[in-house]
Amino acid sequence: MSEFFNQYFDFDYMGEHFWEVLEAFLQNLLIFAVVAVLALTWGLILALLRQLPGKKFLPVRFLAIAYIDVFRAIPILIVILLISGGIPFLDFIPKEIRIPHWFGKPDPFWYGVAALMLVYGAFSAEVYRAGIEAVPRGQMEAARSLGMSHGQAMRNVVVPQAISIIPAPMLNEMISLLKDSTLVSVIAFAESVLISRELLAQSFNSSALILTGFFFILIILPLARVVDKLIARNQGKITRGSHIEVA
Amino acid sequence: MRSTRLTALLAVFLLAIASLVVAGCGSSDDDTTGGGGGGGGSEPLTVGSDIPYPPFEQGKAGEYTGFDIELMEAIGEKIGRTAEFQDTSFETIFRDVAQGKFEAVISAATITEEREEAVDFSNPYYLSEQAVLVKEGSDIKSLEEIDGQTVAVQQGTTGQELAKEELGDSEIRPFPEGPDAVNALKAGTVEAVIIDAPVAQNAVEKSGSVEIAEKVPTEEEYGIAVAQGETELLDEINKGLEEVLNDGTYKTIYEKWFKLEPPQEIFNASHEAE
Repeated sequence: MSEFFNQYFDFDYMGEHFWEVLEAFLQNLLIFAVVAVLALTWGLILALLRQLPGKKFLPVRFLAIAYIDVFRAIPILIVILLISGGIPFLDFIPKEIRIPHWFGKPDPFWYGVAALMLVYGAFSAEVYRAGIEAVPRGQMEAARSLGMSHGQAMRNVVVPQAISIIPAPMLNEMISLLKDSTLVSVIAFAESVLISRELLAQSFNSSALILTGFFFILIILPLARVVDKLIARNQGKITRGSHIEVA
Repeated sequence: MRSTRLTALLAVFLLAIASLVVAGCGSSDDDTTGGGGGGGGSEPLTVGSDIPYPPFEQGKAGEYTGFDIELMEAIGEKIGRTAEFQDTSFETIFRDVAQGKFEAVISAATITEEREEAVDFSNPYYLSEQAVLVKEGSDIKSLEEIDGQTVAVQQGTTGQELAKEELGDSEIRPFPEGPDAVNALKAGTVEAVIIDAPVAQNAVEKSGSVEIAEKVPTEEEYGIAVAQGETELLDEINKGLEEVLNDGTYKTIYEKWFKLEPPQEIFNASHEAE
């Protein structure tokens, strides 16, 4: 029992390596921030492509659906390994893009960002879709009957209403994204889990992993409370019979 | 509407239960590898190893093979206990053996003073060198020439220590698994890999497009680790190892995996557990 506490809850050890682990954790936050911006944009594009009307856009819809299905199904770890191990071999792409070192960040950082963006783009597209589909059909029909095009109706009528529904489920996705940023350790990017395991290999003490866990809890718990608040707010709207109706 | 939801929920449950059943069946023969007779009625010897690390340990669960695996099976046969292997992660392997998760470790592990604070080692069963692995036709011809370039190593290994000591200006990337480090080299995201010589040799033979620029002697000796104070088990393993060395089994296994004659020094190497 005391062995267990020495191994995982050695607070002196955590103190000694506090700044080292915190610095590594900031790398997780950085991955998270970059991917969040990219994935939320990419997801919205995918969701809108998926909603395009008519026969003309059938192939676009089909491709968007296929993309979303595939990237929701593949384990992220595999996507990370495929991108980091595969992209560098595509020698028709210029080296600066194939093996990127942009903004002073090494290539594993960018491979991780790309992989997480591809996957979380697909997940967030589904959240956007749920939001768009929760807006009653009549809204789109009314907008179209006023002479708006599909694009205008989406932009001015449907998406603004959808946006007010999605924050709670989207925040949940973002919480997963923050945690999944640790997966980039498999391609040797020095984020918090890799640094903790590095410390473990040096000292045979696992407490740095627990310290890393604390950092994640510190960031994620408040976010989880925000999710609760948002859900409660939406519930309130529905019960007050506002314009949003959830089927 | 309600019934569709119920059906969906039921389907998810069934899937979860099915996975449990499948995983359960799998694991019952997962972590055991037949040691080939010898075992008799006595307890199997549980052995931890970080697999894959070819040619020392490789293969699928239940069919593990490699130099370490075959050597451990041969030793097990001599001492009348069937070796059963568990795949585990190298960074935690010494802690796990110290905590009794398995009785012994054979995982291409170098005997170091640091590690001896956590576990006891057998006599050396292998003398090792580190290799500098580079892309075929690379300008790098020695360890010093890598300084300042990006280098891949495997996390927690002697290669990583060597890189830290010798390559002050390099970016060192510690990969959790060796094969991923070699893959990074082939992909061109790192300029060199510093890794155990036999692993490098294996990569040259199996994967191609990489070559060994230099072998660096490190006076490294590999040992089998047991928990501290397990003197009886350690003595038995040492005795088994000695028999395997003397009756030619060692030579056969060595030549099978390294395509080389074993170095003479291994036959009179010994090591005092501290």
